[in-house]
Amino acid sequence: MYGGDEVSAIVIDLGSHTCKAGYAGEDAPKAVFPSVVGAIDQMDVDESDNGEKNSASAAESKNNLKNDDSDKAKGKRKLYVGSQSLGYRRDHMEVLSPFKDGIVADWDIVDSIWDHAFRECLLIDPKEHPMLLAEPSSNTQQQRERTAELMFEKYKAPALFLGKNAVLTSFASGRATSLVVDGGGGSITVAPVHDGYVLQKAVATSPIGGEFLTDCLMKSLESKGIMIKPRYSFRRKEIRPGEFQTVDLDFPNTTESYKLYSQRVIASDIKESVCRAPDTPYDESAYSNIPMTSYELPDGQTIEIGADRFKIPDILFNPSLVQSIPGMESFTEIAPSVRGLPQMVVESISKCDVDIRRELFSSILLAGGTASMQQLKERLEKDLLEESPQAARVKVLASGNATERRFSVWIGGSILASLGSFQQMWFSKSEYEEHGASYIQRKCP
Amino acid sequence: MDAKDILGLPKNSFPPLEKKSRPPKESQRKPDGISREVYALTGGLAPLMPAIEASQLKKKPPPLEKVTWQWLPFTSSARKDNLHLYHWVRVVNGVPPTGDYSFAKYNKSVDVIKYTDEEYDKYLTDPVVYQVVTVGSRLTSITRIGRNEQHDAFLFLLLLLASSLGRDNFLCGALALLFREMWTKEETDQLFDLCERFDLRFVVIADRFPSSRTVEELKDRYYSVSRAILIARAPSSGDVAAHALVKEPYNVSQEMERKRALSMVLSQTRQQERRDEEVLIEAKRIAESRIPPKVAEEPQLVSSNAGAEATERAIPGETVSPSNAQLSSMVAPTPLPDNASTLASLRMLRVYLRTYALEQMVQAANASAGLRTIKRVEQTLQDLGVNLKPRVPTKAVCAEHLELRREILTWLNLQKQVQYKEAEGSSFRDGSYGETPGTPKLLHRGGDQDRTFVPDSINFGAERVGKKDQKRKAPGAPSAHKRPRKLKASDLYASQERIQGTEKASCWDMHVYKLGIGIPDIFESLGRDVEIGQDCKNQLSEPHRTPFVDYSALQNPCQKKNKYLLETEEPRVE
Repeated sequence: MYGGDEVSAIVIDLGSHTCKAGYAGEDAPKAVFPSVVGAIDQMDVDESDNGEKNSASAAESKNNLKNDDSDKAKGKRKLYVGSQSLGYRRDHMEVLSPFKDGIVADWDIVDSIWDHAFRECLLIDPKEHPMLLAEPSSNTQQQRERTAELMFEKYKAPALFLGKNAVLTSFASGRATSLVVDGGGGSITVAPVHDGYVLQKAVATSPIGGEFLTDCLMKSLESKGIMIKPRYSFRRKEIRPGEFQTVDLDFPNTTESYKLYSQRVIASDIKESVCRAPDTPYDESAYSNIPMTSYELPDGQTIEIGADRFKIPDILFNPSLVQSIPGMESFTEIAPSVRGLPQMVVESISKCDVDIRRELFSSILLAGGTASMQQLKERLEKDLLEESPQAARVKVLASGNATERRFSVWIGGSILASLGSFQQMWFSKSEYEEHGASYIQRKCP
Repeated sequence: MDAKDILGLPKNSFPPLEKKSRPPKESQRKPDGISREVYALTGGLAPLMPAIEASQLKKKPPPLEKVTWQWLPFTSSARKDNLHLYHWVRVVNGVPPTGDYSFAKYNKSVDVIKYTDEEYDKYLTDPVVYQVVTVGSRLTSITRIGRNEQHDAFLFLLLLLASSLGRDNFLCGALALLFREMWTKEETDQLFDLCERFDLRFVVIADRFPSSRTVEELKDRYYSVSRAILIARAPSSGDVAAHALVKEPYNVSQEMERKRALSMVLSQTRQQERRDEEVLIEAKRIAESRIPPKVAEEPQLVSSNAGAEATERAIPGETVSPSNAQLSSMVAPTPLPDNASTLASLRMLRVYLRTYALEQMVQAANASAGLRTIKRVEQTLQDLGVNLKPRVPTKAVCAEHLELRREILTWLNLQKQVQYKEAEGSSFRDGSYGETPGTPKLLHRGGDQDRTFVPDSINFGAERVGKKDQKRKAPGAPSAHKRPRKLKASDLYASQERIQGTEKASCWDMHVYKLGIGIPDIFESLGRDVEIGQDCKNQLSEPHRTPFVDYSALQNPCQKKNKYLLETEEPRVE
């Protein structure tokens, strides 16, 4: 490669929905799995008959541990990571996410996810490979230090670098200055990047992410009387050739969170295959009699989806639509402060210095799973043309390949870590030992 | 086999040739080492002089050196620690490449001036001294010594206000502003640290700067500090005079102005732009409509103007244009604006222009006449010394004008009728025409009369060629109008030859000819291409056309022609 020099770095992008890991220099991550874990509390054997230990959440049992209530305080949690392990239903298995409001809350889960990625997916020894991690564009100093600690102390990586998501996406498209609209699972972040650095004062986030849309879809279907059966809860038997009969299975020990998780998997598949961003703002009357699309659920049920196809994606542009979905009223409290996507973009750009605004307008990048929705790019461009100033030329860019859009952060990391002139920027173990974790602020701007 | 053909060898091989044929056959076999297609490129024959031996092609060139690729550690001079990363290295003859990491040379950074503490205290402190003069308890003057005076006026006013109102918080606010402007050492240090880290990317520096200062302020501070240090460190002022910083100091106020203007440009959304444009267009129209009107329509004009202004907001563009249009047509008897929307809006206001009405009436009158007739009417008018459009279009004048036009039209039509009647009459009399086999004797018989008549027919004959489409009539027609029935002798003979030359003519020709005889006007007034043949009769049988042509003659074209050919010429009545 002309400017490249492979040092066999590993790139990990731990997103709120999926974790992507792979070798630098490649064009797609090798390991992609959900970034949630299944946790089964395993107290010592004596505790097992102590009622179905408030299967509320593992956190609570941890609190119990902390409070030292029980005599056998040393309960451990067994964590199951990876889509294969998660796909198998286990009794009392809770589904937990390490993130809370976009930042990492539970470092054990993060640890286990990394471990799974290294040892089971990539089959490497972290001691030999420098690590490039992708972090949210508005990460706090404390989180970064914690990351550095974990990486150096536990995994003994020789070198580390933390790259912001927006910067990596920008590099993936070959630009140093752009406005990155990252639509991930947990949230949508609009961050301007100038000359390879994120302008932190102008970053805007919104809690409406892919998972939120999935929830809306689920509630909407439920209100119409369609029950999504999780995959584990039925079995299909072939009675006659070509004809199937669905038999419901009952597992009383399944936790609520696992059931929700399984339903979400199906609902997000519906969303990905059926939903499209509408060309004009959603209007109840206009879309009341459009042709329905049919979708076959795993249990054989065929459902018809009509207006929801367009209503759900339009929530990105018009968050107040959520109120019309029954069951989502809890969102209305936060609703007033949440703005639609075009407004967020304009707001973010107006917070930037005047000189670079034009350039930002003409290079708006879409990244993330949610941004791969069909027609989203066109709709965003159209809406932005209305709100943007006359003098600026608005151009929304997104790579045509849906895979590339989903993994653009990872791909940016892969490009960065394999550049020859990047090799001087690693935060090495010796520097960590010499200056401490806070030095990472200087090294990884 | 092919080779044999090429070589000319006989196909069947007898024993002495068999041996001979084998070597050529051998050579025809594809030698090993080359693929069949490649071999076929040479024509299927082995080259006489083998350029490359086949076995040579697969051999690799003897390696000059032994090259392996190894996974080796490396260091880079761009790094301050000694981190060893591994990468693939091309090892030649067991010797790994020496030298620094090849990418270390890309590690460039900006030279940011570093000052020491003493220098800071000496040159770079940002003293803002206010000399405050108070008389009694009221401030009378504030003078500022130190940095840019841009904020002086503002602060002065603020302090004055504060003191006059006796409000402490105002004063505090003013003083707070004052302090905010000052650059402390810590801030300056932070600034320079960031400048070094981010290589003078001021946008990013402003973003990361702990307190919120604008890019201009940061730039200003940085450049003024650098400048001061440069000047201070230079042994003499002449040395640094050429330095960019010294020559052109950073102009904060200009930058701020520029940014403000740019932000104003960029803050207008497209909707606003559209509205602004609309307002501008309207303003222009209203400005144009302010030309004072000349004619009686003024009261209407004024009212419509007022109406236009009132409805300006509501219907931009539409209502303003009528007033404009009215004016322009009032001022000069120029052709009316042919803008359909203008007229529509005129009607909306229930205002009618006299000239417009007149024109409509003229058009109505001319509708039955046809283009050429209209032209003749206008020609007549001009000859009489009357303007085509009345210069003073009052009611009486317009009425008279219309009347005149009608009379002229009628007169012309009557003229035509007379002509045709006479033509008919003469054609019946003469009865000679030379185009069909049946007619020669007629021709010969009425030779003289032919001659006299021929001018007529020739005229029409000239037009005959183009009778099928009206377009081609046009060149013929004006000549007919301008010099109706007055033909030159040359025309006469030329066409006569033409007529006599063609011994056989189709019926079609005859009909065309006939129809072309002196009645271009009929075609015009018919306003459509006359179909040749049987249809002619139908078309011509419109009631008001009957005086022109004798339709019974259509049955017998020859006879008819005779009639026309015998027609004598009559001078045209002017």
